[in-house]
Amino acid sequence: MNKLIIPLVVCIACAIIVSITAVTVRPDQNLNIANEKKVKILAAAGIQTDRVDEEFSKIKTLFVDFKTNKLVTIDPAYDHIKAASNPELSTLIPKGEDIAVLKRRENIGTLYVWVDEKNSIEKLVLPIRGYGLWGTLYGYLSLDADLNTVRGIEYYDHKETPGLGGEVDNPNWKSDWYGKRVYNDNGSVALYVTKGVSSTEYEIDGLSGATLTTNGVSNMIKYWLGENGYGPIIKNLNKEIEKI
Amino acid sequence: MKAIPAKETRKLLFTPIIENNPIALQILGICSALAVTVKMDVTLIMCIALTSVITLSNFFISLIRHYIPDSIRIIVQMTIISSLVIIVDELLKAYAYEASKELSVFVGLIITNCIVMGRAEAYAMKNPPIKSMLDGFGNGLGYSFVLLVVATVREIFGNGTFFGLQVMPESYQVNNFLLLPPSSFIIIGIMIWVIRSFSKSQVEEVENPLKAHTFKPLTVKKEVQSG
Repeated sequence: MNKLIIPLVVCIACAIIVSITAVTVRPDQNLNIANEKKVKILAAAGIQTDRVDEEFSKIKTLFVDFKTNKLVTIDPAYDHIKAASNPELSTLIPKGEDIAVLKRRENIGTLYVWVDEKNSIEKLVLPIRGYGLWGTLYGYLSLDADLNTVRGIEYYDHKETPGLGGEVDNPNWKSDWYGKRVYNDNGSVALYVTKGVSSTEYEIDGLSGATLTTNGVSNMIKYWLGENGYGPIIKNLNKEIEKI
Repeated sequence: MKAIPAKETRKLLFTPIIENNPIALQILGICSALAVTVKMDVTLIMCIALTSVITLSNFFISLIRHYIPDSIRIIVQMTIISSLVIIVDELLKAYAYEASKELSVFVGLIITNCIVMGRAEAYAMKNPPIKSMLDGFGNGLGYSFVLLVVATVREIFGNGTFFGLQVMPESYQVNNFLLLPPSSFIIIGIMIWVIRSFSKSQVEEVENPLKAHTFKPLTVKKEVQSG
């Protein structure tokens, strides 16, 4: 009899204590995660700072409707990651187009831009995500004022193998993105992660032992900067931003 | 409940630091000693996490030791230890986010840390709660002592800093090898050597002494190769 009751009591007591702790500290954890995203957005654009909120307030957050490819005004608390799993706020991606293995794409995307006094763009940060080897990688890609040259890339959440695919966090590898170009002369996405050392301005150094992760990175760049992602709005952003 | 004599308290708390160190003598819990000793601040948080887990797990396991059925005692111990580790992990994610990201899986791996399991099984199952708690805390101190020494050496000579503050002159060429995990094997090895040269009782007897020159050259038959 003891053999049943004692383990049961221990399990229930432990479960209750663990749940209470988890629920109590959840708001503080969410605050940390939200702050982390801001730090990563700034880091992608090449800004290292301790005063995150102050730097972040200089950013203009824009929202784009992927159906019309026009900028729209909505509640600033909108979360595109949450929207992507809500059937009312997202659309199923057709099989052939789903190269980043997302299943659903939100109807309204988020853009972070820095503008000068004349309302022209200084730099831009786009959220990107896509499947690697073990799970979805979530990150940000930053473009320069010409909306073609890469300023940086940062991932804030991924499940890749430390030391192999996890090297997407390696500062040396991330620095290879700086100055690379996304679109070729035809206007299509040419940037990808190659194998071995990069030789052109459209190639990023490969990560050895991480072929599937780097394929995932290439695919999410191709998807999010392509026709079904932010591609159309990027090409018209300077015109569109004047209307807001 | 009888009060524990001061002498015994001291013994429980301080013998695990040098005389019966869980890492240096029992060679347990090496994994995290290699992995989280690059920076002092991260190491310190790991030490606090492990010490609080081992102290509390020893206390709770000892509290219910008469009621744990013998055949499933390890599972019951694991349940208690892993609950405590999850709580510590959640707290770190809320209040020490940067450190918890750097510690990543190693906080979770406290569950399988041999020191925690070892003390629960070897001490807490046989001794009253307060004594078990002191024993757990003592072993946590022993673990922390080794980790902090290793981290001090690695951070000062591997990065030129201590708790993130520059201590070595600018001209100092940092030793990158010390930032890699294998270096802590060497540092722990040197620590064990130093401890054992002061306390001879820790030196083990040689179990398999090498014999002088037992090597006999093999006589190989010459094979006629055909074809």
